[in-house]
Order: sequence, then C-alpha cells, then structure tokens
Amino acid sequence: MADHRPVVGAGENPLAELELILESDPLIDEVGFIHPTQLASLSGEEGVDAPGPKNPRFWSRDGKLGISTEVLLPLYKEARRAFFDAVRDFRTRCGSGGDGGDGGVGSEVMKHSRALLLVSSDFGTAWNSRKLVASKEESFSMYMDELRLSELILSYSPKSDQAWSHRRWVIKRIAGQTSSLPEIIMKESELVEKIAERSKMNYRAWNHRCWLVSYMTKERVMYELKESKTWAGLHVADSSCFNYRRRLMTRILEDLCCKDGVSSVDYSFEVYQCWKDELDWDEILIKRYIGREGLWLYRRFLSLCWIRHFTTHAHSTSCNSNYIAEQTTDPSFFLDKELDLVGSSLVVQDDHFDDFQAQALYSTTYILWLAKQMPSPLEIELRQRLTARNMNDLLSEFCPNSSFLCGSSAEDTK
Amino acid sequence: MKITSLLVLKINPDGSDPIILANAADVSHFGYFQRSSVKEFIVFVGRTVAKRTPPGQRQSVQHEEYKVHSYNRNGLCVVGFMDDHYPVRSAFSVLNQVLDEYQKNFGDSWRSVSADGAQPWPYLNEALTKFQDPAEADKLLKIQRELDETKIILHKTIDSVLARGEKLDSLVEKSSDLSAASQMFYKQAKKTNQCCTIL
Repeated sequence: MADHRPVVGAGENPLAELELILESDPLIDEVGFIHPTQLASLSGEEGVDAPGPKNPRFWSRDGKLGISTEVLLPLYKEARRAFFDAVRDFRTRCGSGGDGGDGGVGSEVMKHSRALLLVSSDFGTAWNSRKLVASKEESFSMYMDELRLSELILSYSPKSDQAWSHRRWVIKRIAGQTSSLPEIIMKESELVEKIAERSKMNYRAWNHRCWLVSYMTKERVMYELKESKTWAGLHVADSSCFNYRRRLMTRILEDLCCKDGVSSVDYSFEVYQCWKDELDWDEILIKRYIGREGLWLYRRFLSLCWIRHFTTHAHSTSCNSNYIAEQTTDPSFFLDKELDLVGSSLVVQDDHFDDFQAQALYSTTYILWLAKQMPSPLEIELRQRLTARNMNDLLSEFCPNSSFLCGSSAEDTK
Repeated sequence: MKITSLLVLKINPDGSDPIILANAADVSHFGYFQRSSVKEFIVFVGRTVAKRTPPGQRQSVQHEEYKVHSYNRNGLCVVGFMDDHYPVRSAFSVLNQVLDEYQKNFGDSWRSVSADGAQPWPYLNEALTKFQDPAEADKLLKIQRELDETKIILHKTIDSVLARGEKLDSLVEKSSDLSAASQMFYKQAKKTNQCCTIL
C-alpha cells in the first residue's frame, strides 16, 4: 500500500475523499477522530513537500486512519444522505424484479453505509442494510469483509453492540458452509482478548466470547481455558472475564454429562483435574489479591459444582458417576480445605486500605452462601465444623446481617 | 492490572516544576492516535503530583481509572501510573525498588541535573515490563520492611492534592507539557465522564 495520501482530487466533498481512502487501502485497521492540530502535526511529519491540501481532513498511514474532528459533522450528514439515497434506489431496483443484476446498487449501499458507520457506529439501519445486501450475495469473501469492517469500527468504539452483534450474524450465516469455521472462531476469540486489553470491563466483548463457546470443539475449549488463564490472573477485577471462564467450565461439564457422546475415562479425569486446578488457582489469586469480590463469587460457582459433581455425597445431580467414581473425593476433606481458606481470610493484618475487611466479608458471605446451597447432610456437617472451629462469632462480626444464617446453625447443632 | 508508566523526578527546592530524570511508559493499549496525548498527560500529571509530594511522604492519587502513586525520598521522587486494581502495597514496593536501583546507578548525580531526560536508563523499562504482574512486586515486599514505617496518604481526586485555589482545569490550560490536541482530549474526556451524557 502506498504510504500516505492527503488525497487530492476529491474536491470539497469529504465523503468522496473518505470513500476513496477506504477503497484504496483495504488494510486500514484502526480509525481515530483527531484534533485538527494533531492532524496538522501528523501531516507535517511527512515532510514539507507533501502534496496535500493546505487544510487536511484525513490522514492515513500504516493502516491507521485519522479523521479530523472538524469534518465529522458535514461528513456524517453527507454520508447519511448518500446512504438513504442508495437504499431507496436499491429497494426500487429489487422491487422491480431486477434482483439478479443489482450489483451496482448493492455496492452503492455498501459503500455509503461503510462511511456512515465509521462516523456513527450504532446506526442500526446501516448495519441492517448491509445484512440485507450481503445475504442476497451470499459470497464468503463478502462475509469476511463484514467481519473486517466490524473490527475496524470496534477499534474506536469497542463497546458498540451493533458491531458485535453483526459479527454473530455473520458467523451464524457461514457456520456449516465453510471448513474454516474453527479458524474464524479462534480469530474471534483472539480479537476479544485484544479489545479487552484496550477497554476495561467490556461486557459486550466478553459476552461475544461466551457466545463463541457453543461453536468451539472440546479440544478448543480446553485450550481456551489454559490460554486465557494468565490474562485472567492479571485482570482479577474484570468480572466479565471470569464469567467467560465460568462458561468454559460449564461447557466441559456439559461435554462430560452429554449422554449420547462417548466420554472416555481419560476425558472425565481431565475434567476432574481441570476443575481441581481451577479451584487451586482461584485460591492462589484470592490470597494474592486481597479483597476481590469477583474471585470469591467465582469460587462459589466452582465449589458448588465441585460438590455436586465430584464428591461422593453428591446426590442425583451427578451424571456419568461410574466414570468419575474412581476420582471422587471425600467432601469432608473439601470442607476442611475451604474452612482453612475462610479462616485465614478472617485475619485482618492492617486496616490501611480496607482490603482485609473486604476479604473477611467476602469469605464470610461465601461460606454462608455455600452452606445454604449444599445438600442438607453436608450443610449440617459444615455447621458443626464451624462451631468446632469457633468461627461463628467471627463470621457474625464481619457480616452482621448474616446473624440469622449463623443463628440457624446454632439451632442445628443443639 | 496494569502499570502504564514509571517516572523518576528531581524535586526543585525552590518550588519550580520538577525535572524528569527518567521516564518509561507503555501506551500500546491505547488507540494509535491517543498515544501521544497519553504520553503528554503522564508527564503533566507526573510533574503535578510529584511537585506536591513533600519529602518522606507516600501518596496515592485517584485520577479517573488510574491511581498515581508517588514517593519522595529527600528530593528524589518516583511516580507510578497504575490502574485502579493494582494492589497499593505492591505498587509502593515497586516504587521503592526503582528508587533503590536509581541511587545505586546514579548516586547523587541527579542533584546537578537541570534538564528533562538527560540520563537514559534502560532498567526503568525492564521494571515496567517485569512488574506488570503484581506477584513479582510481592516478592520484593517480603524483603522490604521499610514500607510499614510511613502511612500512605490516599487522595480521592487529583484536586485534593492541589493547593487551595489551584484548579486542575487551569493547570491544564497553562501547562507547556500539553499540546492543543491533548487539551481537547482532556476536555472531551471530562465531558464524556459526566454522568448520563450519552446513555
């Protein structure tokens, strides 16, 4: 691609200029709206002899496209007008029965909607007309173009719901029609991680990744669990990312319980091991990052599933029990481990940042919540252990509102 | 969990703006066009906070989704830009480590420095990469006992660090560290951070 182009010859019309840039450089992967002074200084770096207009409105180089904030409004108005004109033409052409030869009009819609979406990412009508045109063409390369455009828009608007849902629409259309789906799913997953790095707490991005899970193979799910571990460990405040792990963990359980699928002993052991590793890893994080609610909430999920599926006391909920019977553990052992963790979390080392208090509170609510969710024989056992460890008073101290929960335990043990 | 930047500054006893001795920043997670503004802001906020950190004091200032941690040891000041979630204790053990290393490398030569960025210092970039994982910083914590001596002062906003009568807006306007584009960036961010303008 040619390096830089303050485009000449596009006249005063910013829309034509923008479309020319987009046409001539399909590798643009990032858009930004920039201040005229920044634009001027960027253009200035390219040498005094740059043949551009005196007052540049666009800058593009190395796959980055900068649009001057001054031109945004006229650009938007012009793009919207051109887009609606193109849509009207397209409708009349389709209506008059010329649906075979609509290439020209369809491409006008695509051209103008692209420019429009670049300046207004949540313009639903524009996204929908793209869907309409693309679904008439049914060409694989066109669907890939849609993914690229959506990625470009996410580069400056990472939380755009429309852009994310457009991706899901494309994947649904091509699923079952192409052999490269696993590769596409992989790229989608990587895209989410890339965008999550840039925009914190991006629910929509992670929601998209959760959605992808149902298209993943068993092996891919295991791989994702391993791959995203480091990232999750460094972003413990990002609950969405733990939600994604929850989805993955649920999926491996589903695969295990799947009645018609033949799950081997090897696989059930793998799942068991994976679950155990996850619990240990969560504990390490809890001890490293004091007072993170997300980690405790994630632990609730892990522990409850562990009790239901991997311990001997588990009742009917456990599936495939003949496979995992060999590896099941004594629930008492598990309870002891959890109580050790909660016990150590109740020690407040200093009160500079309130984090130890938070830790104590979260651990208290965790264990009380777990008690309520467990099968009743286990609950009674847990309550007895709490009493034996003299932890009831501590628990009610850190979580005064829980007195009714603790109270019931006192009655149970009488 | 992210460290965006680490700075070492010399505090001028006469109260003029501190001098930046070393500066490492990782802005790769920002948009391409924002990176230059972000770098300018790091310098500007770093100077602003360092200037208002008295000798011997540790303080943490909340600024948008950042926590700016700073520690002034006898006129040599280190400032770290961490995100909200980076544990505060780990942050200060990183700052401590950086100052120790700096003094080991340069001794007291910084006292005669009179211009920004005169001494290149590769270690700071290495530290920036290494301590992205707070677990690495916690290894330091075990050997550093000194930390417990002074209490860390927490500020909820950058305005609470400023002297009476000072306003961040006017400092931004006056600052020579910020270009026109960055100032616009600041105003825009301020606007969008106001509640319910878009949603």
